[in-house]
Amino acid sequence: MSELEADKLVDGTLAWRAPPAPLRSRRLATALSNAWHELRKSRTASIGAVMLVLLFGACIGTPWLATHDPIKQNYRERLQPPSEKHLLGTDRLGRDIYSRLLYGGRRLVTIAVVAVALSLVVGVPFGVLTGYFGGLADTIGMRIVDGLLAFPGLLLYLLFVTVAQAWKLEGVMIDVVLVSALALAGMPEKARLARGSVLAEKQKEYVEASRAVGDSSVSIALSQILPNIISPLIVTSTVRLGFVILIVAALSFLGLGTPPPTPDWGSDLSAARDYMETHPLIAAFPGLAICYTVLAFNLFGDGLRDILDPRIAER
Amino acid sequence: MLAYTLRRIAQLVPVLLVLSMAVFAFVEALPGSIVDTLVGTEGGDIEEARAILTKEYGLDRPVHERYVLWLGRAVQGDFGKSLVTRRPISTELLSRIPATVYLASVGIVLSMLIAVPLGTFAAVRRNSAVDYTAQVTSLAGISIPEFWFAILCVLLFSLYLGWLPSSGYVSPFEDFWGSLQFLILPAAAIGFRQAAFTTRLTRSSMLDELSKEYVDTARALGHSERKVIFKYTLRNAMIPTITISGLQLANLLGGTVVLESIFAWPGIGRAIFEAILQRDYPLIQAGVLVLGFIVVVMNLLVDLTYRLLNPRVKFA
Repeated sequence: MSELEADKLVDGTLAWRAPPAPLRSRRLATALSNAWHELRKSRTASIGAVMLVLLFGACIGTPWLATHDPIKQNYRERLQPPSEKHLLGTDRLGRDIYSRLLYGGRRLVTIAVVAVALSLVVGVPFGVLTGYFGGLADTIGMRIVDGLLAFPGLLLYLLFVTVAQAWKLEGVMIDVVLVSALALAGMPEKARLARGSVLAEKQKEYVEASRAVGDSSVSIALSQILPNIISPLIVTSTVRLGFVILIVAALSFLGLGTPPPTPDWGSDLSAARDYMETHPLIAAFPGLAICYTVLAFNLFGDGLRDILDPRIAER
Repeated sequence: MLAYTLRRIAQLVPVLLVLSMAVFAFVEALPGSIVDTLVGTEGGDIEEARAILTKEYGLDRPVHERYVLWLGRAVQGDFGKSLVTRRPISTELLSRIPATVYLASVGIVLSMLIAVPLGTFAAVRRNSAVDYTAQVTSLAGISIPEFWFAILCVLLFSLYLGWLPSSGYVSPFEDFWGSLQFLILPAAAIGFRQAAFTTRLTRSSMLDELSKEYVDTARALGHSERKVIFKYTLRNAMIPTITISGLQLANLLGGTVVLESIFAWPGIGRAIFEAILQRDYPLIQAGVLVLGFIVVVMNLLVDLTYRLLNPRVKFA
């Protein structure tokens, strides 16, 4: 957050003066405390941040937090209610639901984060460069973006999943295909946003100043303009993370994600449907886990928008 | 307006070309050739059948010629035959479109019926209990996965209470009241989720409008608060709401795959989903192309409507 603040304050020629570089650890501590200070301005953002810290903590700590092997079946302990041994009970194959939730979440969050990061890595330079150069590059670039945006809802993922199935891909490769599809689908939003901001920033004096000093076009576009459009990108990426988690869960709910027995919130929920009438709790936990995760990203994104966009915050 | 419309229609061409190339590339990216799939099911003299089919599908020609050939046929509505049912794909898809349109439009109407009053009220009574309730509900609505919400609804209304059937479909033209029974749950699942987005939007654009000067003027002139809100502010605030609802409708036409399969709703999304399970590649290809086309055209219509509703937007 302190980085962001600095970018906001820096204007015109000030951008040239590199700040003195203190010890990295001290800088990180300051950055974190500044970030927390900023976050406290919005209650939504603070709640979201706390929820996210818990979520990421659970994802990182999964191997230590999990009490059972998430895949190991135990027919003698099928469909048990929550107990001391099985914190959230067991599913239809006697697997520990709590441990499956942890491992499933770790996988889901990783997929979402990688996919969104990848869409940023592809989309932002794409939008910045097309916007900066304009002309033919812009026209062609934006038509590609429009074409990608024309794929409604889940269809793009369905195409990718079909290809993955036809090639009989297994394990990690399915996730790779899924991540690429998600990144490709998320790319237009980032590209458009970056392009729009570049078109606005391009006119400003500091860009002209850089050009006058003799910086190359690409370096101006990436090093001068990019830092100025980071706030909207962070906000959309956060919200997009929640959205991506919903999509991945929906795909595996349809049986088009990673095949069983891999722990997965979507497919676990789908499998629990058959036992819903007698054991509704089994279906409740994965659903609640998805809700919690998506809500955390949405709250954080919403709050962040209020903080970063002063126009809205005034209300 | 006319010139703008024509220019926008002209801009659709490259977009649709990109879409068609992507969809064509999808089948090219599949392993093996379509001929293997067909020969496997036909039996008989394999080599001869292979030769005939290769020629029929033009697989002996280079890829760009095949693309042009395929596109030429697709434009005329000829997508070939389904590998599973052996019927023309165009008939298969056409028969599925009404169910999807029915579900999606009822869902959107429902969402607007919830969202517009709620969003307006929340904005007018800002920071009141209603406002907080609206905000919390819409945040929850955005975060709850629709398939989970749907099966919770089934659990409550079908399994426990037994009020509504858990899945199925009856055409509204055959039995209107009967079809409503099947429609309520899926449409409510769509409506609730979409309403979550629309409520937030209505609330924020209503807040935007209420802070404008013309509202003060109207109040200063002594118009009643009711008139200020319903006659002046709401009308302006509705413009983005209507636009987004139109876009949601367009997206829903292709995005109801999950709900259609939960509720066994015979729409186009479910047709594509079934085609994936049965590896009916030509049907998937055609289905995605048709839905993409519908979405692109709908987006254009929404954009044009937006401009009609809001004459201040320049035709740049």
